[in-house]
Amino acid sequence: MGVPISQMWTVATYVLKKKLSGQKKYPLVLMLEPLFRCNLACAGCGKVQYPPHILKKQLSPEECFAAVEECGVPMVSIPGGEPLLHPQIVEIVNGLIARKIYIYLCTNALKLKERIHEFTPSKYLTFSVHLDGQREHHDMSVCKEGGYDEAIEGIKEAVKLGFRVTPNSTFFDGTDPNMVRAYFDEVMALGVEGIVLSPGYSYDKAPDQQHFLGRAKSRRLFRAILSNRKKSWKFNMSPLFLEFLMGKPDRNYECTPWGSPAYNIFGWQKPCYLLQDGYTDTFKELMETTHWEGYGTASGNPQCANCMVSCGYEPTAVNHGFGSLSGFFAMAKAALFSTYEDKGALDLLNNHTTFAAQHDQFVKIENIAPATRLEETRA
Amino acid sequence: MSQPTQHAAVNVDEIEVVDGRAYENLEGWIPELASDDDVRTALEKAFDYRGDITLTFKNGERVEGYVFNRVTGKGLADSYVQYFPANAPDKRKTSYAEIARIEFSGKDRAAGKHWEAWVKKYAEKKAAGEKNIALHPEALD
Repeated sequence: MGVPISQMWTVATYVLKKKLSGQKKYPLVLMLEPLFRCNLACAGCGKVQYPPHILKKQLSPEECFAAVEECGVPMVSIPGGEPLLHPQIVEIVNGLIARKIYIYLCTNALKLKERIHEFTPSKYLTFSVHLDGQREHHDMSVCKEGGYDEAIEGIKEAVKLGFRVTPNSTFFDGTDPNMVRAYFDEVMALGVEGIVLSPGYSYDKAPDQQHFLGRAKSRRLFRAILSNRKKSWKFNMSPLFLEFLMGKPDRNYECTPWGSPAYNIFGWQKPCYLLQDGYTDTFKELMETTHWEGYGTASGNPQCANCMVSCGYEPTAVNHGFGSLSGFFAMAKAALFSTYEDKGALDLLNNHTTFAAQHDQFVKIENIAPATRLEETRA
Repeated sequence: MSQPTQHAAVNVDEIEVVDGRAYENLEGWIPELASDDDVRTALEKAFDYRGDITLTFKNGERVEGYVFNRVTGKGLADSYVQYFPANAPDKRKTSYAEIARIEFSGKDRAAGKHWEAWVKKYAEKKAAGEKNIALHPEALD
């Protein structure tokens, strides 16, 4: 497992304290978006489609610290926009480290090499570098030739300087599982701590959403990717969440939308990091006024129908793992028997025409033709 | 919506392909506000819109800004929108009952930025022999 013991201990004791206090709904990770501005223009990214006066706004360090203290989480993920464009990002990170908060700073790494020397390595700080696969796939995904090479340069520099680094990958309909496995080999060879991955999700407000990956397809894709694992692969994620993605029978989890609340210039986002159904001024108001029963797959809400994304389902897996004996034993088993041998999954890999229905959507950068159908937009 | 919504029972775990939402071209739209429902519907669309909205209030004041929230109550008086004016730093809040006119005046920042458009643009540039092909963020000034 890629997650360090001290971080696991912090999360485990946090979950146990919440359980013992009888609290039913509590957050695990704050998705702190200090700005929406970005130096990439990825097609379909709903996070950056705002008028310029909104893109120029940003949270102050004091607002960031207040949000973290208000919700009381042990971990903070800092996505965006691109956090390294925030002029006070170092002050924000250092302030969170001083509060002993584990931080995942999510970056496309285009400015990582330039700014890395402003940061100090710490067990609390991880650079979570956006990397959606091998070179041609990532470049197409971020709509920038050369994007992969710049991200790899940033990763190498951060690893060399002793920082914790986890490549953070989102995979979509049409992804070739063999490419993903080859990509795992590449990034582990760079010396990263572990891989973070998630299936893609079409943002609620992203344009031209026609069709996107259903849960049945997602499970098939991740079964092919994550079964028959190599020992060299490490994942900086809950092993039970990975089993959920693979469609393991005892991992039919429901979403925990309050598990990863999002805070940005608009306030506390209802109900989760991905959907925007409104905002509240306080975390308490978010928890008390959101109609949680209207979200998650069990609700029948079509906006949640295709979602298996980590921000909603990993908190469920973490609560299961650290909040029950059965979950704890399942995690221990996953750590000891981590190869997940599966002949059916090998068949999927060896004959990935199983994914033929999506092949006309899979884009090869060297062999590109106008797509006849829309691929789902990206989270 | 800020009110609980009932959804049809479907087994989402069996779904292979999920329908998305249709894109609505609202740039330039000035809805007719003849009834309370018209106001509610227009402000719901304003909340979804990825561009600035110009609101004219019943006292004659006109503000252009980005509508990022709405909270609906039983009537217009206890429903409100929140927005960032384009030329001021702080959030503002206005009751639905005070709004006389709504214009989808700003550029729709989501329009045309979908995957298919990028693939088409890439193919054209590649065929023309261009190097370092990329999409670039729009200028902020």
